[in-house]
Amino acid sequence: MVLATDAVIGAVVPVLISTAAVALLMAALAAVIRRTADMTPALTVVGSVSAALAGIAILAGFAPGTARLDVGPAGLASLDIGFDGLGAVFLVALGLSGAAAALSIVGQRARSRPEGAAFPLFLLSMGLVFGAANGFAFLFAWELMALLSALLVVGLRPSRTVASAGYLYVAMTHVATAAILVGFALLGTGAGGNLQFETWRAAAAGLSPATRDVVFVLLLAGFATKAGALPLHAWLPRAHPVAPSHVSAVMSGVMIKAGVYGIIRFAVDILGAGPDWWGVVILAMGAASAVMGILYALMQQDLKRLLAFSSIENVGVILLGVGAAVVLAGHGLAALAALALGAALLHSVNHAVMKTLLFIAAGSVLHATHLRDLNRLGGLARLMPVTAAAFAVGAAAISGLPPLNGFAGEWLTFQGLIAGASATAVPPLLRFGMAAAVGALALTAALALATFVKATGIAFLGVPRSPEAAAAHESAAPSRIALGMLAAACVALGLAAGPASDALGTVARGITGAAAADPVAAAIGSLPRNGGAPAWSALAGGLLLLAAIGGLLALTERARRRTRTKDGSVAIRQTDTWTCGIAPQPAFQYTATSFAKPVQFFFRRILQPDRQVEVAYHPGTRFPVSIHYRSEITLLLEDRVYAPLHAWSIRFAQLVRRLQAGPMQLYVAYTVVAVLVLLLWAR
Amino acid sequence: MDAQLGDAAAMVVLAILQLIVLVAVAPLLAGTIRRTKARLQGRRGVPLLQPWLDLIKWWSKAPLNGGPAGIASRLAPPIALGAMLIAALLVPFLAWRGPLNGWGDLLVVVGLFALARFAIALAALDAGGAFGGMGASRDVAIAALAEPGLVFALVIAALAAGSTDLGAISWFGLRAGIGLLTPAHLLGAAAFAVVAVAETGHYPVDNPDTHLELTMIHEGMLLEASGRPLAMLMLGAQLKVVILASLFAAVFFPFGAATELTPAALAIGLVAGLIKLLLAGQALALLDATLTKVRILSLPDLIGTASLLSLAGLGAHLLLAS
Repeated sequence: MVLATDAVIGAVVPVLISTAAVALLMAALAAVIRRTADMTPALTVVGSVSAALAGIAILAGFAPGTARLDVGPAGLASLDIGFDGLGAVFLVALGLSGAAAALSIVGQRARSRPEGAAFPLFLLSMGLVFGAANGFAFLFAWELMALLSALLVVGLRPSRTVASAGYLYVAMTHVATAAILVGFALLGTGAGGNLQFETWRAAAAGLSPATRDVVFVLLLAGFATKAGALPLHAWLPRAHPVAPSHVSAVMSGVMIKAGVYGIIRFAVDILGAGPDWWGVVILAMGAASAVMGILYALMQQDLKRLLAFSSIENVGVILLGVGAAVVLAGHGLAALAALALGAALLHSVNHAVMKTLLFIAAGSVLHATHLRDLNRLGGLARLMPVTAAAFAVGAAAISGLPPLNGFAGEWLTFQGLIAGASATAVPPLLRFGMAAAVGALALTAALALATFVKATGIAFLGVPRSPEAAAAHESAAPSRIALGMLAAACVALGLAAGPASDALGTVARGITGAAAADPVAAAIGSLPRNGGAPAWSALAGGLLLLAAIGGLLALTERARRRTRTKDGSVAIRQTDTWTCGIAPQPAFQYTATSFAKPVQFFFRRILQPDRQVEVAYHPGTRFPVSIHYRSEITLLLEDRVYAPLHAWSIRFAQLVRRLQAGPMQLYVAYTVVAVLVLLLWAR
Repeated sequence: MDAQLGDAAAMVVLAILQLIVLVAVAPLLAGTIRRTKARLQGRRGVPLLQPWLDLIKWWSKAPLNGGPAGIASRLAPPIALGAMLIAALLVPFLAWRGPLNGWGDLLVVVGLFALARFAIALAALDAGGAFGGMGASRDVAIAALAEPGLVFALVIAALAAGSTDLGAISWFGLRAGIGLLTPAHLLGAAAFAVVAVAETGHYPVDNPDTHLELTMIHEGMLLEASGRPLAMLMLGAQLKVVILASLFAAVFFPFGAATELTPAALAIGLVAGLIKLLLAGQALALLDATLTKVRILSLPDLIGTASLLSLAGLGAHLLLAS
């Protein structure tokens, strides 16, 4: 009986994965045919939900370690798909994000038929990336993902700015793929030409240290570009804002995690323990991405650009966990490494949920007002209450506030870093580095709070700053349902952080090779755990917090109700907001720019603001007629590194073009010279 | 089993006791701060009970709604006070461990502070006035400076104790006795003190008694609040002072806290805790009365110094000790 049940449950995972693949393919097919195009989002939802369920089933241990679907002939060019725990974690993130994003566009027409078909295929390609079990399948899926996302960003008739953002994205993603390709070639050569990841894992230990270092650098550079980590992030804040919002949601929520997945899969899982500097490089990238990402996010006035920079920040937070794991694994501290890696996995899933929510809500705002500029929004909470409430929950979650899910991931990351700083087996300087990373994470969390108070408060609270904002309307029902479910997920994943982190911790322990008996250094639990280990009892503590808030709310609301007069009208006296005795105007409110001003000033050495104030005075007096204020920050890396690099590569291309003068005789001469040189060299 | 049950019962009693004491003391502490400040400035000052009387007055008044203020203003006071009440149960005060020890560590306390700040800042933007925005914008910016210093200072103690659990840290301090006072520890304590002043909105960062429009930070955010919501926000702010002072005492100077849950030990712990609170309050009053406010633009120098102090403490702990 037990066996039979096991067999049934064991079959569930392949069935779910097949359902997901078939549903997504059908969704793409439906999008191409005019009469069925309306079914595409629904089919995409079905496919995504199946994918999420499959991932959860694998994580819950319903299936043996891998669920394998062999597509195509075995051998060099086989598409070998199988999900282990690590792949399943990211499959869950993909399923949740994809389902909500697809649900939010139910009833909407895609910009064009190819784009309508590209979205489900894009989700499918990401699923293949997470499930690929050999180098060929991985690169195939990776390229598919890159090209489809590029199509979705650029569209068929792009404007000039969109096209330039798209070109930058395509260029950077292909340079990254080239680096990955070379890294794979080295790994494959080491494994005797075999492309299975299992073989690579076994062969990686046998590579020379120098080769391992080269492979590490190539793969890290390649995957960090996709993840949008500093200093390889330049494409991200350009490409994400211009994409349609449901695409931005999945790109920020899941696609950049494919880069994180790559780093974990290849730098931690397959390459195994490495020298200290591997971890230090990842930690440094993480700290830089987290702090700079959120600092730039806070400075943005474009809502979607703000969210894009915040994604860089969260990738940085995830990389802090990964980096600590690499350092600790390098010193044989498998259990502590698993703690840090588990934190990275938890934050990856949580960020997928939060960022999908925020981008869909930003899309609703864009749809309702045609505005992304925070300085022209305001007061939307009255006009679109569901969107506003969901955005506020997502903002609180991504600011790392208890009892929501963002707090759980950041808490575990803190614990991973502190565990690293207190590990005596690690050299003191490295411990100090990890302790410093704790400070970077604290700074990041505080700046994230500032950023999302600004985004929520300026866009949704106060009074509208423009006629467009005043004429806003609530989004359509599917979009509201998607937002509500994502907000509920933020709360649920926060309260259920115990089981969630246990499941992901098991995956992480499997990767770092921690024994089951190794003690857990810190834990999120559903009940208080004792024994002196630091804990956050997410369920009990979270519920107690919610109960306290609820009780106090009942007290204030009762006071409000009591002040109703006998005829039932509310007696709450409405007054004007205090503005020194004159009638309030929308322009009195703080704007997105002014809200960020103190931080911009505090960090002026890094941000290098360029501020221009033009005042026109009434002739002959000191009374101003008009004041124009313009302020821009400097994106240091873009201006100091990327711009010169760009100029240099254009110059190089022009030099190369001189070789391509046009006459056929010249090309024949090149060929002759090349053959001669080769003959001489081969002699 | 019986022992566990007894343990749980003791914790419930401890929780109720600690909550009552801290909530009762918080406005009183504010009263003593104001009294000392007034005396130092050559005034007689208001009665010690005045903060309590104010709270009771606001509690029974009908709230006014400022301009477009809506749901954010209604939710913020319960969220802010609720977060502080939970934090008050996590922090050790009477004994070496807080009543809810094991439910959350020092990072959870920092997280609860952030939750309260998030709610209050949004409520400040809700009414659509200039002063709310001004207060919120400054408050979150100062928090961005203060938080690394706060976490650094606490992590020094956590590394020494080997855990971020507040009970474990406090227990470690009680066991270590005078040996607790290492250079790293003292640097951390100094940094914490500076940051706590910024977090609680006292001189030289903010003036808790001001209503001069352009200088308000915390008061600016509460400008549109009235009635019972205002009472909740004020009590929350007063509780924050008590919690930070208790946190400081538990982490850096735990001496006197009860090491066992007997009435006698708890009574000594209560007296020791109240004396520490009073001392912390008097120190704040001294700052309020003797310092001029630092320009907000120069705050990074002050708070950045605190962060560097605690970074130096971390270095001393990790690089010198080993």
